Amino acid sequence: MDLKTIINSPGMWIASSFIIIVVLIQSIVFLREAFKAADSLNMPRKHCYAGMRSAMITALGPAFAPVIVLLALIAVVGAPTAWMRLNDIGAARTELAMITLASQVIGIDPQSAAFNLKAYTYSLWGMALNNMGWMLVALLFTHKMSGMVTKMNLKYDPKWIKYLMTGATVGLFAFLLSGQLVTAKADKWYAALISAACMLCISKIFKKNQRLQELALGVSMLVGMMLATAIS
Amino acid sequence: MNSDKFDLNTRLIKIGAVTLIAGIIANFIPVMYLWLVYGEIPPFQDILKIWTIALVTFGVSWLVQPLAFFSLLGTSGSYIGWLAGSVADIRCPAVTMAQKVTGYEAGTPEGEIISTIGIAGSVLVSVSMITIFTIIGANIIDILPAFIKASFKVILPAVFGAVYVELASKHLKMGAATILVALGFSFLAIKLGVPGWLLNIAIIGAGIVIARIQYLSETKRSETNV
Repeated sequence: MDLKTIINSPGMWIASSFIIIVVLIQSIVFLREAFKAADSLNMPRKHCYAGMRSAMITALGPAFAPVIVLLALIAVVGAPTAWMRLNDIGAARTELAMITLASQVIGIDPQSAAFNLKAYTYSLWGMALNNMGWMLVALLFTHKMSGMVTKMNLKYDPKWIKYLMTGATVGLFAFLLSGQLVTAKADKWYAALISAACMLCISKIFKKNQRLQELALGVSMLVGMMLATAIS
Repeated sequence: MNSDKFDLNTRLIKIGAVTLIAGIIANFIPVMYLWLVYGEIPPFQDILKIWTIALVTFGVSWLVQPLAFFSLLGTSGSYIGWLAGSVADIRCPAVTMAQKVTGYEAGTPEGEIISTIGIAGSVLVSVSMITIFTIIGANIIDILPAFIKASFKVILPAVFGAVYVELASKHLKMGAATILVALGFSFLAIKLGVPGWLLNIAIIGAGIVIARIQYLSETKRSETNV
């Protein structure tokens, strides 16, 4: 059975749907609890609906933003996995990073033809183990988080924490990016440089256009991919 | 203060805990499926290796991000946000909008209730959108012109290049320094046969050191400007 059939099989769709079902049930249950609490505090239903509506409308734009990168995920790991992973913790770029890191353990490049069932399995383990990190922290510490936040802000300068996180994330993507470039032919260099330039343009020149900013990653990716293929 | 009544409600904490446990289990269902149906499972040492790579790469985020967003999300919001994701780009704006539009303030019981309503509502929207677009995407991916399909061969450098600029755009010096160090280390790693996971740690470490240098120089500058 070839990889495409397996990763897009009905079985994979069903296996991938469980967490989405949990996500939906969780929100519905919290919604019900919140509305019950609202009633007991005499908050007018109209206000609650207004708040809910405005939050939902605000969510529309950013929810649409990963659409293009979704295509990238579908191309690499198939639709069921892309669907699952974009509906749970972990942004598209984090999942792509984890797929790359996990496949690297057996020396496979996810975008190459060598990406096989084994690499796919490793990728899935990677994403599962990574995402579990956030879920465990939330599970174990949320109810005492208020105290922890106070302690953290007392012990460390919040500004340094921000720099630390930025440094670590920039370091990770520097590693991933250089990994793509170091032994590569010209086409990969073109792809990276063109998409980087595109992202730079969009964020500097069109910084007032909110919608374009949200789509910037997807657009830059497409432009980089296609121009690089065209000119090499 | 009354605000403890909604958010630190033991019932909500129980709901949050149960749904997160269910989420963690559901998280592993696809890999269990691959194991049971196709017999594919990495050897235990590789699973440990993958977990260690994730820990080293994202471990700081696992802990710091929930702490950093807690004051905005609150308790219920945190349970929802760290399961459903998209905290910075969807859940936080949803909270802010819900509170703004209704005038209920953060830190009040009403504020916490409305923020929970907002976040939960935003989840319904994001799941619907992603589902619709997955169905569309899954159907068009096969009928894409050959040229576009061919270009997927360079999708990763395209994504990583754009992401890198996005991350580094507010800290250009840090960004430039880190990528140069990364390229240098990567060339050396190939010459010296250094394994990927070690290179990963080294470059992340370099990124943190560069960030520290930047942070210290900014702090010094703002102190001397007083």
